[in-house]
Amino acid sequence: MPIVEYGDLKINVDDEGYLINFDDWNEQTACALAEREGIEELTLEKLEILKFVRQFYKEFNFFPIFDAVCKNLHQPHNCIAEQFASPLLTWKLAGLPKPDEFIVTVLEHKQTPG
Amino acid sequence: MATKGKPPKPEELSKISYTPPSKGWMDTPVEFKPGMYCHGTRAKYLEAVGMPFPRDWSASEADWKLPDNWKEIVLQGIKERLQKFRTFHVFMDICVRCGACADKCHFFLGGGDPKNMPVLRAELLRSVYRKYFTTSGKILGKAAGARELTEDVLKELWYYYFQCTECRRCSLFCPYGIDQAEITIIGRELLNLLGLNIDWIMGPVANSYRTGNHLGLEPHTIKANIDFMIDDIETITGIKVDTTYNRKGAEILFIGPSGDLFGVPGNYVTMGELMLFHEIGLDYTWSTMACEGGNFGFFTSMEVAKKLYYKIYSEAKRLGVKWILGGECGHQWRLMNQFADTWWGPPDFLEEPVSPITGTKFENAKGSKIVHITEFTADLIKHGKLKFDKSRNDHLKITFHDSCNTARAMGIFEEPRYIINSVCNHFYEMPESTIREKTFCCGSGSGLNAGENIELRMRGGFPRANAVKYVRDTFGVNMLANICAIDRAALPTLMDYWNPGMDVCGVHELVGNALVMKGEIERTLDLRTEPLPGKGGTE
Repeated sequence: MPIVEYGDLKINVDDEGYLINFDDWNEQTACALAEREGIEELTLEKLEILKFVRQFYKEFNFFPIFDAVCKNLHQPHNCIAEQFASPLLTWKLAGLPKPDEFIVTVLEHKQTPG
Repeated sequence: MATKGKPPKPEELSKISYTPPSKGWMDTPVEFKPGMYCHGTRAKYLEAVGMPFPRDWSASEADWKLPDNWKEIVLQGIKERLQKFRTFHVFMDICVRCGACADKCHFFLGGGDPKNMPVLRAELLRSVYRKYFTTSGKILGKAAGARELTEDVLKELWYYYFQCTECRRCSLFCPYGIDQAEITIIGRELLNLLGLNIDWIMGPVANSYRTGNHLGLEPHTIKANIDFMIDDIETITGIKVDTTYNRKGAEILFIGPSGDLFGVPGNYVTMGELMLFHEIGLDYTWSTMACEGGNFGFFTSMEVAKKLYYKIYSEAKRLGVKWILGGECGHQWRLMNQFADTWWGPPDFLEEPVSPITGTKFENAKGSKIVHITEFTADLIKHGKLKFDKSRNDHLKITFHDSCNTARAMGIFEEPRYIINSVCNHFYEMPESTIREKTFCCGSGSGLNAGENIELRMRGGFPRANAVKYVRDTFGVNMLANICAIDRAALPTLMDYWNPGMDVCGVHELVGNALVMKGEIERTLDLRTEPLPGKGGTE
């Protein structure tokens, strides 16, 4: 199982970099995951988004409506696209479990079944 | 697995070769081109619905892990369907290969592969039918257009029957009235006997079987998402609209596509509907157990489609509603009005739909007891029940994409146009040969709007995109309206590719923008909470 090292921190991820243990997530862990994805700094705005997505997932077992994230955090429209390359990357950095291929299509390709 | 990479650039993709291969079609083996097909479905989705031969397999690998008696299963499947579906039997026999359908298919027009000519796509299955079910085919073989069912033939069927969106444009031009969609439907049923579906169809099917909607939204999540929309509506209008869930005794059960509860721009359609229902005081409820107008089971088999759709009537009965109002959904319409009656007969626990606001009887829905929201809203407008400020949509120059199933299958041509013209000042039609019953498919229907087959989708959507380009260049059109959730998911990608800058919306988003609501604040924002030009916004 791959291990991501970040300072003294060691966390277990899968081959694609998804966090293995949901409860391992904290701001430090997020920085480690982000570094692995080539994101140098997790700004306050980015961290807020990740926390919101994580909380929503915990409660509702799904990704929040994109606009809802921005509005609730008082961030500009398209905050997810502006802060992260894609909603799927947001999912990963929020420490959510590796998504089903179905969710990948929904988030990465912005497709929903009719 | 198919490669996920980006498709070639539009300049490359638009160089389409229509030169056929040098050898005849039977001697030209299928080539699995990355970007042109979807991932085979995984075992867990098939298991979830109790479908046969669940296993993980890949279309790009030689071994599809077929059961030993796969051929026997397919041939028995054909035999049963020839007996069960008279149409299928007739369609297998009567084609004279005149080719009238050939250049009507968006996949052939956008890709140039001769096996995407509907006549030849059907011939892939007809040749097998002839070999095993006709005397001439049994005796004369290839000379009679017959061929053995081999693994390669099976793979070819899979490749091309998941390159047909069941849009039925070709059928419109067939002098014999052969419904090619029905051939694809049967072809896919046969493939499903062997567990050969695609992931993007079976995932939503499994979700819908479990939760009552394709996205797999749980009841509290449905409510959370709608609550967010209600909150946005309050920001825009100053009005807190109300809605109810699973309320027994409501007059109407509302069922829209679940994509409109999450995706953009579908959620703006739901907002428009919530505003409309509030304004007219409609006595309606959502069901969190049956919250899906779409039915990817229809792209799998009739039996699976029935499994998913029975939830709608079951919920209508449980809640004791009088009739069902459907949202802006495409294939829901074909299924509910052209299949459901045959499956179950008209539901006797529902009443013939009557608008509680205008008293209009929807006689066309006597059988299914389900009314399309554009029929409902157009009727409200016709009776002067709604007040609009059309100027709120003045920044938009709109064209309308007829969705294949609502238009070609159901004849819903006038209602959406009547609504758009009632709520907008600038409406422009695409060329006559690309609208109404001749509409071109979005290129992603029938469950093909996946991520890995993006080249196929961009090729299939090319004729539609080309018509949109015409109205953009001629009239300055900047908004492509539609009444189908797959369109709302697929068309933004298609437009980004072929016509960057062209936006996409549902018709009830336009309704919500223009609707003058009692007690509302002065509107400065549109339904996307973006400033309304000329209305005190920042632009």
